[in-house]
Amino acid sequence: MALKIIESCVNCFACEPLCPSKAIYEAKPHFLIDPKKCTECEGDYSVPQCASICPIEGAILDAFGAALNPPGSLTGIPPEKMAEAMAELQSH
Amino acid sequence: MELPVLNENPASKGGCSAGSCGSTDDQMNHLSDEIRAKVQNHPCYSEDAHHYFARMHVAVAPACNIQCHYCNRKYDCANESRPGVVSELLTPDQAVKKTMAVAANIPQMTVLGIAGPGDPLANPERTFETFRRLSQDAPDIKLCVSTNGLALPDSVEELSKHNIDHVTITINCVDPEIGAKIYPWIFWENRRIKGKKGAKILIEQQQKGLEMLVAKGILVKVNSVMIPGVNDKHLAEVSKIVKAKGAFLHNVMPLIAEAEHGTFYGVMGQRGPNAAELQDLQDECSGDMNMMRHCRQCRADAVGLLGEDRGDEFTMDKIETMEIDYQAAMEKRKVIHQAIEAEMNSKREVKAEKAEQFAQQEKMTTRPVLMAVATSGQGVINVHFGHAKEFLIYEASPDGVRFISHRKADQYCGGDTTCGDGESVLQRTIRALEGCEAVLCSKVGFEPWEMLEQAGIMPNGEHAMEPIEEAVMAVYKEVARSGKLDEVDQAERARAVA
Ligand code: SF4
Ligand code: SF4
Ligand code: SF4
Repeated sequence: MALKIIESCVNCFACEPLCPSKAIYEAKPHFLIDPKKCTECEGDYSVPQCASICPIEGAILDAFGAALNPPGSLTGIPPEKMAEAMAELQSH
Repeated sequence: MELPVLNENPASKGGCSAGSCGSTDDQMNHLSDEIRAKVQNHPCYSEDAHHYFARMHVAVAPACNIQCHYCNRKYDCANESRPGVVSELLTPDQAVKKTMAVAANIPQMTVLGIAGPGDPLANPERTFETFRRLSQDAPDIKLCVSTNGLALPDSVEELSKHNIDHVTITINCVDPEIGAKIYPWIFWENRRIKGKKGAKILIEQQQKGLEMLVAKGILVKVNSVMIPGVNDKHLAEVSKIVKAKGAFLHNVMPLIAEAEHGTFYGVMGQRGPNAAELQDLQDECSGDMNMMRHCRQCRADAVGLLGEDRGDEFTMDKIETMEIDYQAAMEKRKVIHQAIEAEMNSKREVKAEKAEQFAQQEKMTTRPVLMAVATSGQGVINVHFGHAKEFLIYEASPDGVRFISHRKADQYCGGDTTCGDGESVLQRTIRALEGCEAVLCSKVGFEPWEMLEQAGIMPNGEHAMEPIEEAVMAVYKEVARSGKLDEVDQAERARAVA
């Protein structure tokens, strides 16, 4: 089982030094997790470290493709509010 | 106590609170001689030095360990940079090269800061390697660092080993209840901690870090972001506490929140304070704290003197090809720094003398007046109204002239043909001057002249190239003589400031 970093990653480096399995590496266009190395932190921490510091909602997925930090969970911005604000901006 | 030159106040003028009398630079009034000597030539601490010296930032620290509601982590740390700015991330090696290249080419650059794009102390290796090498190779550059404070207690020991001039901590509250409305989460001891619990830990770490730095003799400045309805009422208390613990400056900055930044506050419609609210809070705090009224929240990635950005001359590819002889550069820098200091000192002496003379004169009984000044620095009025990027706001009163703040102007005329939007920009500029009763500049065009008059702001171009304080006082006296300011009318004053 392994986690996955996807394109919404902003390359902030926060996760990389925390990984107990050295599974995270800098890559272009964004950081990646080596699925062969990732242990989901089992045995080291009770929660996956990368997903616990990552500031970007949706940037890290579990083995089933579900976001560990779903929309609204980190910023506190309700997803409908965000969508509203973005739609408002687009219309200008 | 006899205060030295920098204070610029007529010494021992009975009955007047130190923060509101005499001339400008009152942000230095409460400082001890030792601290004053350390900061008088620092671009961040005095309006005066702002125009002679420069600082720069290098973006080496991308990670952050908390979330602030005014920050979108797709951009740089909002505590130190304008929202929406993205800096090019540098390795420590690149950062050292860039700093030395800039220092060799812009001798006025005296301070190097690390302030992001995330939290410098959440990236200890990158931050400290940069500091280590600069302390060694470029000892004439002062170093500073800004932090949210979470990792500060663990970093104090290492910080004390380098050429650190000061540390800035952003402290927005001392109450976890309020903190939970500003910080949705922190990363602490290998987990994400949300809400009040997280805020409580952050606050404790900030306060502990502040105490430890002071104990080590490192200067600490505290920044606070003023968020109306969240911490605006609370910041006077924060000011008191951080001062009691030994912070030497407290800088209240306005929240900047727009939906397009994608921040919590931006999207949720949280507004920032207006100029009057900010000024009221700064006034409330200045009784017990030195404020940085001149702070322009300069862009963390700008290079050069105030108002200029020479960043394009120092991109990484250009720097790679530069040959820097830093020993030679250091010699040159020293000569230039001494010349600037001599000039600043002689100006201060002249000002002090003027203030002395002023104190001898019979005291007027007229009400205070706010005036705006267009200047590009050097302490004189030297900018055309339409070219002013910002205005310095001064208060003239029977106690003298004091610097209040700066306000950004929309430049309505660039002198070329791209003035299509001219009207509304001019109106916006005039709105930025709300509360002022006069504007002093080198020249004013016909159209703005009329509009200014209609807005109740008296345009004045008679004092071009004259020293600011003298000109402001001269205009004040003129208005006073005309009888328009008789009686200190509180309602009138409230209206003038609002
Ligand atoms: S879940 Fe743990 S092991 Fe896997 S990449 Fe993240 S930090 Fe590394
Ligand atoms: S913490 Fe998140 S955003 Fe930052 S580098 Fe890792 S995956 Fe990307
Ligand atoms: S400390 Fe700076 S980078 Fe971190 S969340 Fe706050 S504003 Fe953003």
